[in-house]
Amino acid sequence: MNYLPSDYLPIIVQLVLALGFIVITMLVTHNIGPKRNSKLKDEPFECGIEAKGDARTPISIKYFLVAILFVLFDVEVIFMYPWAVNFKKLGLFGFGEMILFMGLLLAGFYYIIKKGVLEWEK
Amino acid sequence: MNLLLLIPLLPLVGFLINGIGFKHIPKSLVGVIGSVGPVVAFILSIYAFGAFRAGNNAPVIIQLFDWITVGTLNISFSFQIDQLSLLMLLVVTGVGSLIHIYSIGYMSHDAGFGKFFAFLNLFLFFMLLLVMGSNYVIMFIGWEGVGLCSYLLIGFWNKVTNYNNAARKAFIMNRIGDLGFLLGIFLIIQTFGTVEYLPVFEKAVGMSVGDSAIAAITLLLFVGAMGKSAQIPLYTWLPDAMAGPTPVSALIHAATMVTAGIYMVVRSNVLYALAPDTLEIVAIIGLATALMAASIGLFQNDIKKVLAYSTVSQLGYMFMALGVAAYSSAMFHVITHAFFKALLFLGAGSVIHAMSDEQDIRNMGGLRKKLPITFLTFLIATIAISGIPPFAGFFSKDEILAHVYEHNKLMWALGVLGSIMTSFYMFRLLFLTFFGDFRGTHEQAHHLHESPISMTLPLMVLAVLSVVGGFMNVPHVLGGHSALATFMDPLFANAQRANPALFEHGHLDHSTEYLLMGVSVGAALLAMGAAYVLFISKKNVPAADGQESGLQKVIYNKYYVDEFYEAIFVNPMRKLSDALYSFGEFIVDGLVKGAGGLVKLSSGQLRQLQTGETGFYVFAMVVGITALLLWNFGAIIFK
Amino acid sequence: MLSIILLSIFGIVVLFLGFQKSKNILLPATLLCIAIAFAANFVHWNDAPGLYFKEMLFENRLTMSFSAIVLLSAFLVVALTRGFADDEAAQPAEYYAIILFSLVGAIMMIGFDNLIMLFLGVEILSVSMYVLTGSDKRNLRSNEAALKYFLMGAFATGIMLFGIALLYGATGSFNLTDIRGYVGTNSFSISTLLYVGLLLVLIGMLFKVSAAPFHFWTPDVYDGAPTVFTAFMSTIVKTAGFAAIYRLLSGSFEGIYNFWWFTLAAITILTLVVGNITAVYQQSFKRMMAYSSISHAGYLLLSLTAMTAQTPDAIVFYSLAYSLATVSAFGVLMAVAREKSVQSHENAEDFEAFNGLGKRNPLLAFVLTVSMLSLAGIPLTAGFWGKFFIFGTIVERGNLIWMLIVAILMSAVGIYYYFKVIIATYMKDGETGALRVPPFYRIVLIVSTTLTLLFGLIPKLLS
Repeated sequence: MNYLPSDYLPIIVQLVLALGFIVITMLVTHNIGPKRNSKLKDEPFECGIEAKGDARTPISIKYFLVAILFVLFDVEVIFMYPWAVNFKKLGLFGFGEMILFMGLLLAGFYYIIKKGVLEWEK
Repeated sequence: MNLLLLIPLLPLVGFLINGIGFKHIPKSLVGVIGSVGPVVAFILSIYAFGAFRAGNNAPVIIQLFDWITVGTLNISFSFQIDQLSLLMLLVVTGVGSLIHIYSIGYMSHDAGFGKFFAFLNLFLFFMLLLVMGSNYVIMFIGWEGVGLCSYLLIGFWNKVTNYNNAARKAFIMNRIGDLGFLLGIFLIIQTFGTVEYLPVFEKAVGMSVGDSAIAAITLLLFVGAMGKSAQIPLYTWLPDAMAGPTPVSALIHAATMVTAGIYMVVRSNVLYALAPDTLEIVAIIGLATALMAASIGLFQNDIKKVLAYSTVSQLGYMFMALGVAAYSSAMFHVITHAFFKALLFLGAGSVIHAMSDEQDIRNMGGLRKKLPITFLTFLIATIAISGIPPFAGFFSKDEILAHVYEHNKLMWALGVLGSIMTSFYMFRLLFLTFFGDFRGTHEQAHHLHESPISMTLPLMVLAVLSVVGGFMNVPHVLGGHSALATFMDPLFANAQRANPALFEHGHLDHSTEYLLMGVSVGAALLAMGAAYVLFISKKNVPAADGQESGLQKVIYNKYYVDEFYEAIFVNPMRKLSDALYSFGEFIVDGLVKGAGGLVKLSSGQLRQLQTGETGFYVFAMVVGITALLLWNFGAIIFK
Repeated sequence: MLSIILLSIFGIVVLFLGFQKSKNILLPATLLCIAIAFAANFVHWNDAPGLYFKEMLFENRLTMSFSAIVLLSAFLVVALTRGFADDEAAQPAEYYAIILFSLVGAIMMIGFDNLIMLFLGVEILSVSMYVLTGSDKRNLRSNEAALKYFLMGAFATGIMLFGIALLYGATGSFNLTDIRGYVGTNSFSISTLLYVGLLLVLIGMLFKVSAAPFHFWTPDVYDGAPTVFTAFMSTIVKTAGFAAIYRLLSGSFEGIYNFWWFTLAAITILTLVVGNITAVYQQSFKRMMAYSSISHAGYLLLSLTAMTAQTPDAIVFYSLAYSLATVSAFGVLMAVAREKSVQSHENAEDFEAFNGLGKRNPLLAFVLTVSMLSLAGIPLTAGFWGKFFIFGTIVERGNLIWMLIVAILMSAVGIYYYFKVIIATYMKDGETGALRVPPFYRIVLIVSTTLTLLFGLIPKLLS
């Protein structure tokens, strides 16, 4: 199948329209809207409650660790699905592979527990 | 045959032990360690000789490993054992062992005893590499190595400036020669595509006589030989090299290293056979060197200087033999010369030792009663070098002269003249040193003593060799079998195939040969008689420095060659370099500094790019990628 | 291929060894692991070249040689980590495990036969390097370096991945042999996608070996990382990277040499010039070594540009010579800086640190001198023959002599800054008092120096 450059024309038209809409809207709103700055208006708005302190509060590293570990194991487990679908076709070899995979995963899991990463308070 | 590997390895081990540990090894052990290597190497060489004879004289190549491979050129680290390398091996290890043993006695009072033996062993290692290598590159490594050791040993007593200058002179003169050798090797690679002896010679056989490439190669190699073997015009370093300890002079500057040039020419005999013009040049330079050095020797008063000029002159004889394609005669003379010249130097060393480092023969005399062994052995060596039968020198020198006679009668006549001078200055030396009355100081007279056994034993062995050494190659005319020549014949088979005409000359009939022998022996005896009359009957003693006149003065000052070189080469070079220096202040310096400055400047600029900001780095990367894409695909995008 | 499996298992084992009370066992255990992997690497030495894991990986003598160099350098570098576990808060087990895992990545890069494996190898190696760069957790510069390295590395990885995708789009396969087949059969109608894809993959790889203009991360990262890992990066990553580029170009794209050689030539020249010239101005030894590593990448690229039959041998020899010299140079720096950092925290890694080293510790001075001579390419060292072989390939190619001239000029510039180190060592006066070197260091340094000299005397030994 050969595509000619002219076949891409609809896409380009679409692109131009999309970009054009954004650019024009931004230009128009900036130019026709009135600008009245005041101290009150410049304050951050948070559900009507007065803002206090710095937004960049340090958060315990443990949050990140747990979060990243969750993602890690979650993603790894996804590998189980294609395997389950093809379980019969892959047969004993596939089973062995999956055991090895799970073994490695468990080793990692064991390491994490041993290391004390999941203990919230110590 | 792997035992052969030990031959060069043993001296190296000795060098390492003495070189690394000379501060910790007791003095008594140093000499033993230093001497064991050469002696065992000598025994192994004899064994190798036997094995070689038993193996039908076939050349043996011992491949150690491939050393350098560049494209099609492959240079391997390998040894070649054949007639030539065996003869050299025997001479180098044999004479080397004797000189090592001698050094135990001679150097015993020196502070640098261990260092001395380490250098001596290192020298032996390189010398063995030189003669055993199976290609020109290995030979070159050995060649450079012996040059380095020679430099180290000449300047061994490096507290004296003169000695250092002598060492430097030797080094520089040798470098000039080495440059020729190196260019020769490059040309060999260019012409033959290999540096291994056997393939090179095999290929050379097919080339025509007088081929210009071969002529260039042989000439360049000969330049190398000139430097190492002290031929005109590169000979002046050798007499100066006598600044080194006497065993060094005996080993390096008489018996072994200086014959490397001869070895190289004999090794390349096929190439030289194809270049008759080069051979002619070799012969003429050899003859000129022989005559000039001999005449300088006539009036020298330093015992070692006389011997040094004698060495230069004898080397000239050898080159003359090479020039008339008498390769085996040249090798024969190398061997006999190694015996008697080493003996002469060691004897001189014994004398110097006894005289408390006095070297001027005008201050000696009558030593034969105090140093009987030294005197006897020195006498034998003198007879041998003068060419009086049946001592070693007679046979070898006579053979050379016979070949020269076949080649050119005038050269023969001049050769005989040289041998007259040789005989004269040697007997002059002998008579002045050992006969007459003692002319030294009272203290010296009191101190006179015969040297210890470790010094006299090598003298005696060498004396025996100087007496019987000639019998290894007794010519047919005297009822011998030319054993050495027959042994070496296979070496020249290729050369004979390549240029048969060179080896075709009418055989001298017996009566001519007898006549030639008679003339040279008669001449030598005559010179001896003259010396006897002058220095024993009339008790002449050479005048003090500066009292000579006329021709004698010119000769005494070595024809002013050193001054000539000083005026022609050294001073202009110095002036030129001065001029260039001041000139360079502006231009050369400017260029160098400019280039350096440019590098520094651009370096400073480029450094600015390293801002430390990741954003900029990524930006630079993107610019790079865009540039590459545009460059490669710009044509498609902007079509 | 056995070595990959072994190293993966060993990595996990070392990780768990870390729970042991005594941390002293870790170093010997890691060294043992690498030694075993080194031996296992040669199991198939005498077999015919083979494909493994469903044609994912490839193994022949060349890949085994590269792996051997990587493992040897790793062994030497790891041996230099002695004293690493002394810090209370350090987690040596994890670093050792990461080192072992990174070696798996390196060997995969060396022997990939499928672009997926190339990507996987590059990522395993790179991610390990990001972590190791930042291993000095309390040092801001180390953190900065790690983050920089990570950001830029991720960027380069993205570009490489994009290139791989384009290659797949053009040829319909990740397999090197299939791509080669495509290039061979469609020589007149090769899709533009393939060219663009190749270029992008090359750019990604060139980033990893720090070729200009993708080199900017190198000085900062080398400077910031702990010296041991700088040594690790500059030897192992470089060797593996060049093995991978060689494998990619020779395995699939020899047919379109005329397309890529000029691009590579331009990058080579730029790399040589930038690396050598910028190195001149550096005051810090580590930064100088970083630029020097850029310039050595240039020499290796030179041989890749030539791409003759001798190229693989030349690269193997050069990588080995370069790795040995680099390990000894960094080893000496560590020995000197360790002493110095005790007294003051500033400038411990400048050239001045070497002042008077010749008197303080002749061994270290000698090792450093040999290493610098080898890097500069002075005869009787392995580096000389490395350059010699590299230049030989250029000469063999014939029409690239102009590159050779640039390279020789640049190596003359190189002599300047390498000799600056030697001069500082022997001619400048610095602190006095003998410098003590732990025996472990001494052994590593002596081994690498001996090998450098040995290969310098007898280059044929390696064949």
